[in-house]
Amino acid sequence: MICRQDISDRRIEARLLALTSLIVLSGFLLVAAGLRVRLVQNPPAWTSAFLFPIVFSVVFFSIHLLLRMRRVTHEQVLLPLTALVCGIGLITVYRLLGSAGVWQQLGRGLLPGLLVVAALILRPNSVEKIRRLAIPLSVVGLALSFATAFFGIVDETGARLALKIGPLPPMQTSEVLKIALIIFLAWFIEREGREVAGRARPAGWLRLPAVRYFIPAGLFVSMGTIALVQMADFGAVIILGVIFFGMIYAGFETRIFTPIALTGLVLALLVGVVLFLTWELPTVIRFRFLAFLDPWSEMMLTIGGEPIGVTVSQGPGYQIQQGIYGIIAGGLTGTGLGLGTPEYIPLAHSDFIFAAILEEMGFVIGVPILIVFVAILLRLLRLAAVLPEEQAFERLLLTGIAIHLFTQLLIMVGGTLNLIPVTGVTIPFLSLGGMALLINISEIGIAIALVRRLEMTSA
Amino acid sequence: MNDLFSFNSLLFGAKWVFVGLIYSVLLLVVVAVRREMSLRLGAGKVLPSTAPGSLRILARGTDPKASPGDLLPLGPVTRLGASSNNELVLQDDFISAHHARLRWDGASWWVEDLGSTNGTFVDDGQCVPHHPHPLPAGGRLRLGDRVFELVE
Repeated sequence: MICRQDISDRRIEARLLALTSLIVLSGFLLVAAGLRVRLVQNPPAWTSAFLFPIVFSVVFFSIHLLLRMRRVTHEQVLLPLTALVCGIGLITVYRLLGSAGVWQQLGRGLLPGLLVVAALILRPNSVEKIRRLAIPLSVVGLALSFATAFFGIVDETGARLALKIGPLPPMQTSEVLKIALIIFLAWFIEREGREVAGRARPAGWLRLPAVRYFIPAGLFVSMGTIALVQMADFGAVIILGVIFFGMIYAGFETRIFTPIALTGLVLALLVGVVLFLTWELPTVIRFRFLAFLDPWSEMMLTIGGEPIGVTVSQGPGYQIQQGIYGIIAGGLTGTGLGLGTPEYIPLAHSDFIFAAILEEMGFVIGVPILIVFVAILLRLLRLAAVLPEEQAFERLLLTGIAIHLFTQLLIMVGGTLNLIPVTGVTIPFLSLGGMALLINISEIGIAIALVRRLEMTSA
Repeated sequence: MNDLFSFNSLLFGAKWVFVGLIYSVLLLVVVAVRREMSLRLGAGKVLPSTAPGSLRILARGTDPKASPGDLLPLGPVTRLGASSNNELVLQDDFISAHHARLRWDGASWWVEDLGSTNGTFVDDGQCVPHHPHPLPAGGRLRLGDRVFELVE
């Protein structure tokens, strides 16, 4: 009895969203109060501490109302969980950059992203049309990446990550490339997967697929990699690779996947060895690797005699050092919002946002954030498993999205805790970012639209 | 100074409110997912012992014994299929051994396809296998070429 009512008016989602709104409101108030206690100059105005949480609640509750109006009954936790991580990101951005940062996060990422989500919910069949975007989006993604690699804005570490076109705000073009690869692979495996598997030559236990099928996908990945290496965006290279192998693994049997994976690994190793022998390691990689091995090294890093960048100006491991100091200061329960000093961590609002969160909110909040990400991953994969078998494209799309979000989180959390070398990627939903946030939220929108379409076809 | 100190301790308390709120979200998610699971498995709840409903035969398929218009009484959980351990045995070429399950949750009827070969349809829409689907009073339920109407 209870179940049915809960489902028809999405009561669980409403409750979770109400709680999330309360969390965001209390977080903003705590930040404003904490910064006043620390007597920081120009603390954000009290009005902004009320205004932003209200905007946040209104936009997420309007998506909730839209879902109710369209009588969508399933999947009540994905939207609130996304809202929760977005909310914690907003609180941290508010803490570090004040109102200007929050406006940027809302205006360039959250609001456009939720508009896409609303459009996808209203027209769930447009998910169908995403597959037609496979080729155009790949071409656009590659073109944008190459444009960024040569004409992009150079940041403080010497990498070109963003492209500015006309009056538009700078775009992180590698984000377009990642979603393009996911769509491209889902489309490719749906179209050719059966044929590739059917024509594969048996070789003992393994089955060898014909090489020609993988030329387009391989070309895409290698072109993308070249552009990203030119941009010095090595985090994105890793993510492209993981998406590629993950989706091939999801789309083919193990005995077909194994030869593909082995060939890919051997090729990547060959390229790596050739590059290592013939090409001087790019400065960024060298610095990051040195920093990973010894974050406390005091060696000064220079390019042509000039000390470079804020992130490496005091030894290669400066950013990691500050992150670790912050995490230690935070300890189990954190210093309290607005009461810590995460502003000493370079790029605390984007790459190192997890260190800033651990400093001010502590382990007790850091772990639930990771749990929420795991929950989002499981919901996406569950939806992929529930979809009918003939919707191969949609299932692979969801798998790719889950892989993308989670890999990005793991790479950056690992980097923050100095478990792996730091690569400059952002944490989905948390970090300050326009294009990245927009695409991540749209990916969740695709999942919600698929839930609605599943209900429409099975009703 | 004393004033500031009490403000500080207030903030310290508020920090725990923040932590508590985040953990209650996690708790609610766990409760919601568990409820969804129990809905799918039909377990975790005491089922009502009687159910107000029966199926009226609209099309009898290839079974000579059934006649259109007959009412088949339903229990709180009624399994339909060709195998003899179902509550409602439907001997038919197009019906799987364990075809579908009807369930009364105290307020409404749910039908769940058990992975049948030819599918289960409610008012001409196909049910997703292993997913409970609401069956309204007067709704048409089709299994193979058998058609029933739910009478409450």
